[in-house]
Amino acid sequence: MGCTCSCGGDCTVNLLYACSGAANTGLLADQVARTLASDGKGSMTCLAAVGADLSGFLASARSADKNVVIDGCKVACGAKIFTEKGLPFEHYITTDFGVLKGQTPITAEVIETVALQIGRMM
Amino acid sequence: MVIQILGTGCPKCKALEANARQAIEAGGIEATIEKVTEIDRIMDMGVMMTPALAIDGVVKSAGKLLNKDQILAYVKEGK
Repeated sequence: MGCTCSCGGDCTVNLLYACSGAANTGLLADQVARTLASDGKGSMTCLAAVGADLSGFLASARSADKNVVIDGCKVACGAKIFTEKGLPFEHYITTDFGVLKGQTPITAEVIETVALQIGRMM
Repeated sequence: MVIQILGTGCPKCKALEANARQAIEAGGIEATIEKVTEIDRIMDMGVMMTPALAIDGVVKSAGKLLNKDQILAYVKEGK
């Protein structure tokens, strides 16, 4: 949990959501979100909980300065969840960064490279 | 009805609690106010920013200091 209290000061709350799907690209989305969180780009929270309509997660997403949704592939489950709920979001897909679904091994270098690129674009 | 104020004790959390008390008094609502200050409980409820307000376990708002009228609207919605 990063900067969470809105009691004062210049606190920007970016929430990070990863599709965490079954494919290598889902793994990459998850690892990229974790890297961005540990780099201080935002706080990672649960996409599945948003999909499941859990009230606290929905309220947090409504109040965040920015929701960053990282999908693994073009099926874009994360984006569909946010669109369906009417929540604002910024969207990234790992396959847009030269990663091939079902093929590219998810190494530390790949995670770092994609996290760096998304981190710059956020 | 149980109104929960989620926050670790910051000034805005205290102000939200005060506003909630004003809201139930103004609306003539029978409600209990519970303060949730443990970070683990707050996180378990999916709240990523405080102060937050929940009614009967349903989080209505996070990261905002709601005024009396806004709280009253949520309370009436939840009845």
